[in-house]
Amino acid sequence: MSTVDITKGKIPSYGPYAFGRTRALIIRYQYELILAGVIVLVTLALGIASNGLFWRPVNISQILVDVAITGIPAIGMTLVIITGGIDVSIGSLVGLTAAVIGVTYQAGIGAVPSILFGILAATFGGLINATLITRANVPPIITTLGALSIWRAVVYALLGGNWISNLPPSLPNIFIFDSIAGRVPYSFVGALAVILLFAWAAGKRPFFRSVYAIGNNEEAASMQGINVKRIKFVLYVFMGLLAGLAGILLLAQSPVVQATNGSGFELQVIAAVVVGGARIQGGKGTIVGSFLGALLVELVQDGVILFHIQAFWQSVVLGAMILIAVAVGLRGGKKEWVV
Amino acid sequence: MGSVKNMGWLQSFVEQYGVLVLILIVALAFAGIIAPGVLSVSNLSQMTVFGVEIGLIAFGETLVILGGGGGIDLSVGSMLALSQIIIAVLVEHGVNVALAAVIGFLVGGVMGAFNGFFVVQLGIPAIIVTLATLYGYSGLALVLSNGVNLSVFPPGFDVVGQSNVIGLPFQFIAIYVPVAIVMWYITSRSLFGYHLRFAGTNERAAWLSGINVAWVRFRAYLITGLLCGLAAIIQSSRFATARPDAGSTDNLQAIAIAVLGGTSIFGGQGSIVGTILATAVVTVLSYSFGYANINSVIETGAIGAVLIVTVIGQTMIRTVMRRRRRLA
Repeated sequence: MSTVDITKGKIPSYGPYAFGRTRALIIRYQYELILAGVIVLVTLALGIASNGLFWRPVNISQILVDVAITGIPAIGMTLVIITGGIDVSIGSLVGLTAAVIGVTYQAGIGAVPSILFGILAATFGGLINATLITRANVPPIITTLGALSIWRAVVYALLGGNWISNLPPSLPNIFIFDSIAGRVPYSFVGALAVILLFAWAAGKRPFFRSVYAIGNNEEAASMQGINVKRIKFVLYVFMGLLAGLAGILLLAQSPVVQATNGSGFELQVIAAVVVGGARIQGGKGTIVGSFLGALLVELVQDGVILFHIQAFWQSVVLGAMILIAVAVGLRGGKKEWVV
Repeated sequence: MGSVKNMGWLQSFVEQYGVLVLILIVALAFAGIIAPGVLSVSNLSQMTVFGVEIGLIAFGETLVILGGGGGIDLSVGSMLALSQIIIAVLVEHGVNVALAAVIGFLVGGVMGAFNGFFVVQLGIPAIIVTLATLYGYSGLALVLSNGVNLSVFPPGFDVVGQSNVIGLPFQFIAIYVPVAIVMWYITSRSLFGYHLRFAGTNERAAWLSGINVAWVRFRAYLITGLLCGLAAIIQSSRFATARPDAGSTDNLQAIAIAVLGGTSIFGGQGSIVGTILATAVVTVLSYSFGYANINSVIETGAIGAVLIVTVIGQTMIRTVMRRRRRLA
């Protein structure tokens, strides 16, 4: 990514071409365009190969809910990865959200307060991550790997080995079943709106410009007067908040609270972001790309179910998608001197 | 680590590992409190059985982290699982158990090499490669075993994991101790260990000195895979069963052990002796949690906390040392 993208608000046009701006946009978003093309191809292939089963309204709306569930935390994960960090603890934060909602609702405080408590718990988890990473200088991978196991233990302690199915009955209705024409769930519409808002902001607002600057060169960003620690702090807290939102949607999708809720979820989100073109060393990535990545990941996951392939293959496929996306694109930025 | 000039062997040991020995004593005391009776001779002997598998894996993790460049292996537990499932599936299909074990060991090496190839040859960060293979390998283990435990081993196979030699567990005396000595030699006395440390300290300087950084690091991943294969043989023999979900907690444990043992997460610093002591600490805690009937989820949470606290401690010590050096 050239430095022009970070420091200037306008998209530069390259040379004296006609349609300079369009051309520049195509160059800038070439990866996203390729990804969109792949998604169209995969969709058509799934539709044909499944004899139209794919196009049933119930399948479409399920995919769209899944995209919302992965796409929302993917916003935060994209920003975290752009700064050169990572958060592998969100699977446990999702579990924590579910457990807190279950326990507080059972205590009889009502649906809305219990959901608020759930989001609050996940945000608190993000706050702890943020504090450890920015104040105690613990590397993000170590912090969030530790947090992954610590919050899972907390969830287990909260539930005491039981499971809770006594949940607000309106939860699945509001977040999963209410939809436009029985196909497009409102949760997807909401997620899309949030994603578009952030996609717009990421290109325009100074805060997000600083996020890219940190990822490209943290020291230089700091010398430019960007408060690196504060921005990272905000991002990890925000990541926790988004994990809480995803936790609510996941709970609405399968309304049982267990100690295992959300385990492995982090891989799905990281896969979406990496497939979406974010560079894991930081400095590069777009919200729109991650959304498309989420779409592709969910389509492939849906294909595994649609063709009755053993469910165990899902994690193999996810892992392979990550490796292929990174290896083929080679956006890893190989150091020229390491042969 | 301070100067070791004009110092006795014991004195330098105390300077380097004093804190770790202290932590081990605290861990033993803690174990005695949460699980009364756990410190008997038979239990301590039993602990060495538990410690061997994770101890071997932690050696590999130490090498990978030592090599620097963001080196880490999150997939060790999955390699352990897939290796033992492959051994079991081969035995199920009538392959001789010894041959199957050798193949399982080599498959571990192949998986490690696969990780290493993606990390050093394609320049993809180790976190993302091994996160992908963490799920990939364990997914394959589930696919191959249909998600169920495989108890297909002939009676003779339990020699590796269930027999005693001179009153101590076979796998401790005959496998762990020799491997530990070899690993100590590799990291502290061999050219490979020197190159690995150099690469971890300053990869660019190492490369400019003519060291093939990529090849050195690749071998660290390869050795880790082989050690996971070895641990898989021991574990499947100990349980007489191959479990597709084996090692789901080992990823975190192995990293926690390496870091607790003084391996700097940024590479270049670390020792096998530290890893051995840290293995003892984690094994004592892990065994006594199990002895006190505390769920393994809680135990893993505790290990996560130990990991974070250790890294905070490391960072603080480094900051203090840097400040002192600046003042001097």
